[in-house]
Amino acid sequence: MKLLCSAMLLAFTPIAADAQPVPNHPDLTGVWGTYRAGRGSDPKLAPPAAGPLVLKPEYAKPYEARRAAQEEANKRGEPLANASAACVPYGVPAMMSVAIYPVEILQSPRQVTIISEAFSEVRRVYLDRPQSKIEDVAPGYYGHSVGHWEGETLVADTIGIKTSVSGYRGMPHSDQMRITERFQLVAPDFLHDRITIEDPIVLEKPFTYTLAYKRMPNYEMVEFVCDNNREYVDEKGIVRLKVRDR
Amino acid sequence: MTILQAARARLSWALVMAGVFGVVSPVRAHHSFTMFDMTQKITLTGTVTAFEWTNPHSYIEIDVPDEKGGVKHWSIEMGSPSILQQSGWKFSSLKKGDKTTLIMNPLKNGQAGGFLFQATLPDGRVVGNGPGRQP
Repeated sequence: MKLLCSAMLLAFTPIAADAQPVPNHPDLTGVWGTYRAGRGSDPKLAPPAAGPLVLKPEYAKPYEARRAAQEEANKRGEPLANASAACVPYGVPAMMSVAIYPVEILQSPRQVTIISEAFSEVRRVYLDRPQSKIEDVAPGYYGHSVGHWEGETLVADTIGIKTSVSGYRGMPHSDQMRITERFQLVAPDFLHDRITIEDPIVLEKPFTYTLAYKRMPNYEMVEFVCDNNREYVDEKGIVRLKVRDR
Repeated sequence: MTILQAARARLSWALVMAGVFGVVSPVRAHHSFTMFDMTQKITLTGTVTAFEWTNPHSYIEIDVPDEKGGVKHWSIEMGSPSILQQSGWKFSSLKKGDKTTLIMNPLKNGQAGGFLFQATLPDGRVVGNGPGRQP
């Protein structure tokens, strides 16, 4: 509606339209490194603790069992297979925080593009467009994202993430998952991405966590093509490292 | 290194493992590092047969002479180029034929592989393996 009103205003008052100020959104363009809570970080800028993750009982049990098995396997030094051992990318939202790799944001009036250095993943948030219906989006790693500005906050809405794409700490999700992200500069060079995951099938209630970033001026993104993956999964489902004889 | 420095080094590595590699925060690493024995450090001095500046990890292949007059070959995993450049590495830091000394955490399964802790480059510089693994 707001968009329609703006469009009508532009159509009928060309002189006034020329005089319209360009919407003064915060500039998120740039490279952003992860900024974590803990020693040496400013608690006002670090991400707040994640909200409780409450899965429906039928999903909680297998999830907890899988995490316990992973922990046991890690203690033995025999990590269990996961998608990344096969160099499969992370998708939304996990790509927003992979180890210490930065993300690059390219902001334009109609689109915000986010590139993760790890695996060179790319996602696009189309601004001021209606969201599709979930059933119309081909399930994938990045789904379909639309966004808009609410004051100084960029709000992005993502649907269509396929169920095999693992989320926060490997949490499961259904094809009905909806991800809402609120990007906000909490200080001139500090950005928060507050991520809320809604899933009426898997979650008892929405789950929220926040990622924090610090601007990395002048950083040039390093290419990342996974062409030397020496990990493999053995017949027991354990990740191994190939060593060479010579 | 004093005992206190050693304890600090261990603590900072534990924090990096916990914080950076996904134990307590919502981040993901390429793989779990639990296949390596982080409590053990082995020093290898030998000749580089390959230096692969690649993703998802870089590798040093090295021939190490043993006491019986033979040679044992090792594959040493490192961080990725992005992570290594934060420790002062370049794609050209090592080349085939270079002599180097590496300190690494060995694979738990006994195979001749490990995860780099630090390397002494031909120019004498001692470099680590990304943030949290600095000499």
